[in-house]
Formats: sequence, C-alpha cells, structure tokens
Amino acid sequence: MNCRDAEPLLHARLDNELDVAGAITVDRHLSECRACAAQFGALQNLREQIDSAQLAYTLPSKLEQKLASRFTSQGNWFAQLWRRPWRSVAVLAVATACITVLVMFLPTMWTADGSNAIAAEILDNHLHALQPGHLFDVESSDQHTVKPWFQGRTDFSPPVPDLTNDGFMLVGGRLEVIRQQPAAALVYKRRQHIISLYVSSSLGVEATPGLQDLGGYHLLHWSHDRMSYWAVSDVASADLGDFARLFDQTKGNRR
Amino acid sequence: MRSAYNLARWLVRNGQDAEDIVQEAFLKAFKALDQYRGGDARIWTLTIVRNTAMNFLRKRKTDNGVDLEQLQAADRSANPEQELLEENRREQVRRAIARLEPEFRETLVLREIEGLSYKEIAAVLNIPAGTVMSRLARARQRLLIELAPVKEVRHELP
Repeated sequence: MNCRDAEPLLHARLDNELDVAGAITVDRHLSECRACAAQFGALQNLREQIDSAQLAYTLPSKLEQKLASRFTSQGNWFAQLWRRPWRSVAVLAVATACITVLVMFLPTMWTADGSNAIAAEILDNHLHALQPGHLFDVESSDQHTVKPWFQGRTDFSPPVPDLTNDGFMLVGGRLEVIRQQPAAALVYKRRQHIISLYVSSSLGVEATPGLQDLGGYHLLHWSHDRMSYWAVSDVASADLGDFARLFDQTKGNRR
Repeated sequence: MRSAYNLARWLVRNGQDAEDIVQEAFLKAFKALDQYRGGDARIWTLTIVRNTAMNFLRKRKTDNGVDLEQLQAADRSANPEQELLEENRREQVRRAIARLEPEFRETLVLREIEGLSYKEIAAVLNIPAGTVMSRLARARQRLLIELAPVKEVRHELP
C-alpha cells in the first residue's frame, strides 16, 4: 500500500469503518510510513480537539416543550395508534366485526322492501301449490267460472283471459296471501308445465319489472293499471315471456 | 430532537433560524408520516431536517459567512480565568468548522458530533459512503490547516 491509497483510508481507520483486514493493512502501512503516521496522529489530535470543544448545541427547552406538545400528545392519535401493536389489533377486530355485521344484514336490509323478498315468497307459494291438492280452490278451464269465484274474496276482479288457442290452458284459480296481501293466483298449463300467475292490487306494484331465475324456476313481474302481476313457472323463460305478453294483450278483450 | 436541532444549528449557524427549521422539518415529517418506510427514525428525521436547512440556505442568498458573535455567545457558561485559554481554543475549533462549506460541514458534524456511521451519513445526505469518506478527508484537511498556527502558539505556552 502506498501513501496515495492510504490517505483516504486513514479517515476510515480513524472512524472505525474498516473491516479487520482493511484495518490491518492500514496499520501496517502506518508502522512503515512516518509521513502517514504523522498525518494519522494529526487527525487523532484533531478529533480530540473537536471532542473537547463540546460542539453540540443543546436544544432550547422552550422549543423542546413546543415540539413535544405539538407532535406527541395531541392530533397524533392515529399515528400513535399504529405504533402500538395491541391497539391496531383492536382496531382491526372492531373493523372486522362491523364488516361482518354489515355483510350479514345487508341482504336482509336490501331486500326488505324490494322485489327479491316478494319473488322468493311467491316461488315458495308456487312450490307449495304444486303439492297434491293445493293447486286450486276453483278448478275450471272456463274463465267465466274462475273469474267470478274471486268476487268477495279480493277487493279487485282479476282478469282471466282464455289463452287456450295460444297454448296456455286455464286450469283454475286459488286465493293466496302473500306478505299479508290477498292475491288471486290463476293457474295455467303449458303442456305439462304449471304456471301460477299472481294478481294483486298491492303486491310489489312499484317493484322493478323483469325476469328472475330462482332455483330453476323463472319469475316474471310486470305492472299494469295499478295492478301487479307475478308469473312463476318451470316453463322455458321464452314461453313465460309469451304468456305474459299474451295475457296482457288479451285480458281486456276476451273476458 | 437534540440531534435535529444541532444539525440545523450547525448548518444555518443561527439559533433562531435553526429553531424555525426544526419546527418546519418536524411538521414536514409529521405530514409525511405515511411515507415513512420503517428503518431508523432518527436518520429519517435528520434527512428531513438537513433538506429543510439546505433549502433555507439556498434561499438565503446573502450568506454572509460566519456569525461570529452568535458562535461566541452560544452556550457559553461562565469560565474561570485559567480556562480562558482553553475556551479560546474551543472557539477556534468552532469557527474553523463553521467556516467550512455546507457539504463538508454537515458531513463532519454528523460524524464528529452526532457520531453517525458512514452508512448512516450516506443515508441522510443521499450520497455514496465513499463520498462521505472523501468529504470527511477534505473537511479534516481544511481544519488541520486552519488550526495549525494556533497549535504552534499553544506549544510555545508554558
């Protein structure tokens, strides 16, 4: 090692920044080179002078208090929170609990006044009616038998069109109560498929019209003249759409 | 906080400015808390203090050298007569350091007064560790030259 290489390393040696091998190399050079040894001595002396000069400025106590009150006690709540592990765990737990409760109750809240709950109840009712002996209160393919049967049983007279020529045969009707509202359930048959059509003056009149699929069944809702219609069946959804269209077109004409 | 004030004080060489800079730097650090990516909080704070002080120095175009009166007045306790010479000696060192260019001054202050390693200094100043070493070498060489005549004078004293 020559003096040119050693010169900067003297500082690293002085500052204990060299690894063991580097320190040995520099020390060996210092033992051989008087100039560098003198320089190193001067640097050591300089360090002592700087140390003894006590050059560190002390923080004014007024500023220290000001900073302490400003940055450690108040306004720093959230930052402190995250510095303490147990608190962040607590916050996470509370947040998780809130989200869980929301997730559990949101569907209920969401559907409380919406059409989903009505649709589910109507499907239940339809499935129940498919059980033996539950399909009709009045069994008839004659619209003039079925329609009058609802007199006095509902506060409205449901349209009962004859759609036999269109492939939908009237087979009867029954009175149902859905969500505490009376509904006239008309039963039509498309080949072997049963269609229940619920007519009501109050059941989801404001609900969004449209087709829903529920457990393999199709549920079609529409409203007309302040009357609400819900058709449910396992028939193809296109057939159910045809049924609804024909029913709506025909109900005023052929009574 | 003490380190922060000391660094700022050495960089701007004025007590009131140093206080302002420390406050500004802490406010910045507090606002940037979300950018703090772990590691040594002291290094992080010193980095912000250093940058704030350097911005201040850049804006203050009229850097009229060392404020000697400030330095003399700084932290001086009542010294007995026999310590007067020693006190003068300390003052020489202070002035010599205060006269260094900012980049040499900050490196030397972080090393000699704050006792930071090259790696830590490199992090604060955002320079390579090798540059830390060469800056220290330059700074110390300057100090040796500045203090040399005084040293000779002292050798002549009884």
